[in-house]
Amino acid sequence: MKDFLLILRTEGNVWTDLSPEQLQHHIKNGGAYIGGLIKEGKLKSANPVDKGSRIISSVNGVLKDGPFNESKEVIAGYFLIQANDIDEAVEIAKANPIFKDIPTRIEVHPMMPIAE
Amino acid sequence: MVDHLFRHESGRLVAVLTRIFGIENLELAQDVVQDALVEAIHHWQYKGVPDNPSAWLFRVAKNKAVNEINRDRKKIQYSSDVIHYLQSKWTAGPALEYIFSEEEIHDDVLKMIFACCHPAISSDSQIALALRTLCGFSISEIARAFLTTEENITKRLVRARKSIRDGNVAFEIPAGAELEKRLDAVLTTAYLLFNEGYSASNGNEVIRYELCEEAIRLVQIIAGSKTILFKNNVYGLLALMYLNASRFKGRLDEKGNILTMARQDRSKWDAGLRDKGLAYLNQAGQDNKIGFYHLLAGISACHSMAPDYRATDWKSILNLYDCLVNIDSSPLILLNRTIAVCSVLGPERAIEEIQRIENIPSLKNYHLLYSTKAEFYIQSKQFSKAAACLETSIRLTSVPAEKEILRSRLDFCKIS
Repeated sequence: MKDFLLILRTEGNVWTDLSPEQLQHHIKNGGAYIGGLIKEGKLKSANPVDKGSRIISSVNGVLKDGPFNESKEVIAGYFLIQANDIDEAVEIAKANPIFKDIPTRIEVHPMMPIAE
Repeated sequence: MVDHLFRHESGRLVAVLTRIFGIENLELAQDVVQDALVEAIHHWQYKGVPDNPSAWLFRVAKNKAVNEINRDRKKIQYSSDVIHYLQSKWTAGPALEYIFSEEEIHDDVLKMIFACCHPAISSDSQIALALRTLCGFSISEIARAFLTTEENITKRLVRARKSIRDGNVAFEIPAGAELEKRLDAVLTTAYLLFNEGYSASNGNEVIRYELCEEAIRLVQIIAGSKTILFKNNVYGLLALMYLNASRFKGRLDEKGNILTMARQDRSKWDAGLRDKGLAYLNQAGQDNKIGFYHLLAGISACHSMAPDYRATDWKSILNLYDCLVNIDSSPLILLNRTIAVCSVLGPERAIEEIQRIENIPSLKNYHLLYSTKAEFYIQSKQFSKAAACLETSIRLTSVPAEKEILRSRLDFCKIS
């Protein structure tokens, strides 16, 4: 088993476009998906990103922190999962019902283990 | 048997919340469950009891648990495998649903049983802890059951929780070679709990019967486990408990005195419980491996199946005792064996056998040794020797009802 980091990117304003009915649907399906991963022992953790992110950058050797640029695409949150290989991790990411509700991109990153 | 819905639901809730908070926060789990119970009662007093009271109770406890975890994250460290799920918006809901599923709750109750019966905890603390956490007894109920003070029970519980922390008792179902050893410890505790309820001749009869019921219920949970495969001893103990429990109502006379097997009114015995016991006895023997509880249950079954005392199959009982002493030759078993010897081989032989064990330290001052010996002397018509034994026995017992029975036997010897 290997760890994989799934980063979910969505567009920041899409949620306001969903009706209460659609939101309820989204929560129900998302819950079932996450519950299934927990039960199978595949989910280490998952968290949505809250408002107020900042970015730190080094400008000419000086560290500066400032608010995230209000780009259209935002990181909605992450999943840290366990899978046998990248293909299984991709399948898990593909099964996320969020794709049915809003435009989403999920990055699947294998995490480097301490030793093979 | 009575259905103690709330008592048992609270036991299940404590087990689940202990998984969530970690076993070192056992007291917190108990407090949250208590809170939920109080809230439920208050609410229902105004609004009436809901259709599904346990679902209601579980929902309140769930909310309280999540609030507790997220109220002040730095204050308490939780050693739990699920706590982080409950600290994230995405996973809290699904995780709660998973944690509170029947299957998971059942495993948590099993883990709790193993934790309460962990060898790091002294046996009287184990029993108090099991009654408090698994059986939902209040401290005053436990105190009444053990004829002691609430303060004393509180001390035992504090000691038990300290032993859990100091002994690094894990909240898990033991696996591999460890399982058999730990399962033995659990069965021993359940057996002690049962005997606590069964053997005492004074105290609140209702509470005592409930101790027996709880002991049975705990072993039954283990019997229902899919994780534990080798369950001969579990079935053997269940057989023993059910068979003994089936005679519960015939053991006392109107004044509440304990009656010997010969004097019990067998029509008061419970045939339903007896049949359950016999069914478990059958299950216990299925792989031809015979254990301690299995043999005791076999002896108990011989008594249960005899229509009257004279029809008792003493030959089988003596055979079973002979097997039993090979596994466990503890003084009490040796003493009880002499009763079977008397019935099969005659009182003279029984007197010889009892003389061989009467100097064992734990029997030397045991009143039942002398009253048993007295009965053998009476049967062989040596009444003066019997009277001497009865006098010793009267001197050694502190229970008034027993003194009374012994005195009437003594009077009988004097006129014979």
